[in-house]
Amino acid sequence: MPPEPAPKTVTEPAREIRVSRQADVVVVGGGPGGIGAAIAAARSGAKTVLIERYGHLGGMASGGLINIFPNLSDISGKQHIFGLNQEIIDRIDRRGGASYPRQEDWGSDDPKLVAKYKNANLQFFYIRPDLNSGGRERVLYTAVIDPEMLKDELNTMVLEAGVDLLLHSWGTRPIMAGNTVKGVFFESKSGRQAVLGRVVIDATGDGDIFVEAGAEFDGTLSNKHRTAWLAFTFWMANVDIEKADAFKSARPEEHAAMMAELADLGGYPHYFKGLLENQSGVLWYHCFQPQAQASDAKDVEELTRIEIRGRHRALITYEFMRKHVPGFEGCFIMQTAPQLGLQGGRRVTGEYTLGDKDMVSDEVFPDTIVVLANNDNGEISAQHPTICVPYRCLVPKRVEGLLVAGRAFSSTDSINQYFNIIPPCICYGQAAGTAAALAVSAGVPPRKVDYRKLHDELVRQGVNLPDIS
Amino acid sequence: MKTIKESARETRVCREADVVVVGGGPGGIGAAIAASRNGADTVLIERYGYLGGMGTGGLVTIIPLLTDYTGKQQIIGITQEWIDRLIARNAVDYPKEEHWGSLDKEIVRYYFQRSFFMTRLDRVSYAAIIDAEISKYILNEMVTEARVKTYLHSWGTEPIMEGKKCKGVIFESKSGRQAVLGKVVIDATGDGDLLPYAGVEFEANIPPSFRIANLALCFWVDGVDLKKVNEFRQKNPQQFMELSRKAMEAGAWGGFFTSNLPDQDSIVWFHNRYPNTSQIDVEELTRVEFEGRQKMMKTYDFFKANMPGFEKSFIVLSAPQLGTRSSRRLIGEYRLTQKDLADNQPFEDTIAIFPDLDRGQESLDHPLMYIPYRCLLPKNVDNLLVACRAFSSDEHVQEWFNLIPHCIAFGEAAGTASALALQSGVNPKKVDMKALQKQLAKQGVPLPDVTKKVEYKYTGPALTTPPFGQH
Repeated sequence: MPPEPAPKTVTEPAREIRVSRQADVVVVGGGPGGIGAAIAAARSGAKTVLIERYGHLGGMASGGLINIFPNLSDISGKQHIFGLNQEIIDRIDRRGGASYPRQEDWGSDDPKLVAKYKNANLQFFYIRPDLNSGGRERVLYTAVIDPEMLKDELNTMVLEAGVDLLLHSWGTRPIMAGNTVKGVFFESKSGRQAVLGRVVIDATGDGDIFVEAGAEFDGTLSNKHRTAWLAFTFWMANVDIEKADAFKSARPEEHAAMMAELADLGGYPHYFKGLLENQSGVLWYHCFQPQAQASDAKDVEELTRIEIRGRHRALITYEFMRKHVPGFEGCFIMQTAPQLGLQGGRRVTGEYTLGDKDMVSDEVFPDTIVVLANNDNGEISAQHPTICVPYRCLVPKRVEGLLVAGRAFSSTDSINQYFNIIPPCICYGQAAGTAAALAVSAGVPPRKVDYRKLHDELVRQGVNLPDIS
Repeated sequence: MKTIKESARETRVCREADVVVVGGGPGGIGAAIAASRNGADTVLIERYGYLGGMGTGGLVTIIPLLTDYTGKQQIIGITQEWIDRLIARNAVDYPKEEHWGSLDKEIVRYYFQRSFFMTRLDRVSYAAIIDAEISKYILNEMVTEARVKTYLHSWGTEPIMEGKKCKGVIFESKSGRQAVLGKVVIDATGDGDLLPYAGVEFEANIPPSFRIANLALCFWVDGVDLKKVNEFRQKNPQQFMELSRKAMEAGAWGGFFTSNLPDQDSIVWFHNRYPNTSQIDVEELTRVEFEGRQKMMKTYDFFKANMPGFEKSFIVLSAPQLGTRSSRRLIGEYRLTQKDLADNQPFEDTIAIFPDLDRGQESLDHPLMYIPYRCLLPKNVDNLLVACRAFSSDEHVQEWFNLIPHCIAFGEAAGTASALALQSGVNPKKVDMKALQKQLAKQGVPLPDVTKKVEYKYTGPALTTPPFGQH
């Protein structure tokens, strides 16, 4: 094949950019990883700036309408994820905006309870088969939270922690001195500006900062994995759910035929019932969009195509359901997510890369920063109900002054899909923010943070960690 | 001011086009669709994942002021096309055509109760309340049919200048920083984001008492039993007013609009105003997001606890875009000012007519505002146009004529002019005005006969309701 011609370029001349802030820790991205990082860094005493592209915090959990915190317990019902995750859920719960199985039901295989939760708002998110007891289904601890309340609570939490926040600000590129990240440029209605920091945390989800910083990364995504798909999420309102359920159970074949027809038309037949108890008549559509083979979620052309296609499918779904399906006569699309549901992409190559072998090793790393429930891997989950994640997964090779918090943590494609969702990302953030603050106060690069100190500090914050001695 | 040096760099050119439109709000949609339909290879760059700007993502789901006080529709073109497509999907609410301009007290009262936007100057006014989600779809459909090349999730940040010529635009996205080159660039960012970098003169003074000195964080509350609310309101009007007053005392918003759309009875819409010093200062935007969200929660808590019908309500959505009202304004080839508000004569280069309905007796005496093409043109750059609320105007003209239908009209004119200019090989400033007006008229834009002097005097009944500004 002939070599590709060099792309055409325009020259942007050198220029002076205004420094808007100087901080200890700069966090780019206010999704689950970023809020974990910013709150933890600021609470640990670091002067912290958080830069977020949208006008709200929470990322996928709020603007992406993926307002679910799954897999907080393992299949036996034992809770593993605490820390900031639990704090957020508690705060929303106090306002009446959280929904989760009662604590006494976690791990239960009582068929009545299982049936109850299966028929509730989140259906399968609450239930997993336990292969250690012949595949009997058990109840998990998974929480749903109100996305609008979450936005307000997260604002309150970062403010209380003393984080300096910039919303409507798109962190675009690192400021480098050799191999060391010194800050970031960001775009906003105030024009291009810079924030300088001693540690920068890339919580963009897509690793937008580490690429330009020259970090090694892995961008392979197999279409077999959930992470290679994008979701265009929307809510349908004013649905008579009882009527829809009654129709489905009385005439299952007719219902199935209708759904097949909808799928043929390009619509999306699957939905979850209203996510929160007070949201009567609301359905949640998590409309998966396969990407073209060998493309990836960071390509703006692909994002544009998926937005247009996803919206088209939402309209087809709405018009079909309204016209044909009992219970949907008065339905309308109440909102579509302002953020596309990104599920995976670039992953940094860190000091340690979490891979398939770690799922079966039960290894407790000296730098373990979180224990995650392993609920989605059948036989493997049955034998290895948890997995430890080491701090080194957040530390890029070679580049100094940079940590990665969020789904871009160092991991193989195959393992990333299980442990890149909202609660783990908050955990990675909490660890990265805490480590960054420790590095700043000790005057060492983040790579050299004392594992024991990090462990003790995370435990003090309520993170559930194994005995590393 | 401390600065840091950003070194020179080569930025990838991802596209070369005839016309590059920055911003997919009302102005940008008008501009991109019009340019593309008139044969220009057109690129549209939008920061969010959908089109429509304030009309969709800002939850300002209202296209008002389409008829003059006599009931004659003055804004048609792409605005009406958007509405027509909503009508086809039963996703819009507006007064019946035979009622536009009606002075009938019963009819006026009916529409006033239906929506604050549907009456002006004692008369029924054509205003459309639109479905935000269906609109996002329709706008995608319209740009796709017009064969506009659209980049969503793309933030157009700066023009590429070569002396006084604009060569294209730099934009940021998940693909990194890239450039789109174009023969004509249209700034439809709302805030005139390209103007400072293009070395173009602009102003940004806004008196604090003006509507446009406020930002909004609109939000929707669902699960409302509207029948119950209305019954309570009718039976106990004083108690209802008292609750509204108490809400404001408690730091909440006191009132709401109803959705009016089919099957959306359970949704009410809280529109609001947050005074601010600048809409183009990221610190202010951040502050208002916080303040707005806190006040939203207070409002929700208050209404849920106190207002009959709100017992099972929930906040379904806060607008992903702040409700921006005004910031930079071009100082262009012609600057519309207060004195133009008191003039009834069309300009030779009129490209749109806007009904003037919000200024009481002044509006009756001067019912139409003519818009010259020149207020979209910067003085010293030839191939950059402005098609949004940053059009050349003083703060008074800006206060009344920077709404959604106005911006679509600016866009339609700018896009059409760009395409015609390119066809005849001239810069947009030199476009043949007669040909532009002829083409706009063909597209359904009402335009005046600019050769005739207008003789006009209001002879109708005296006004009985106060103007909008004094509500």
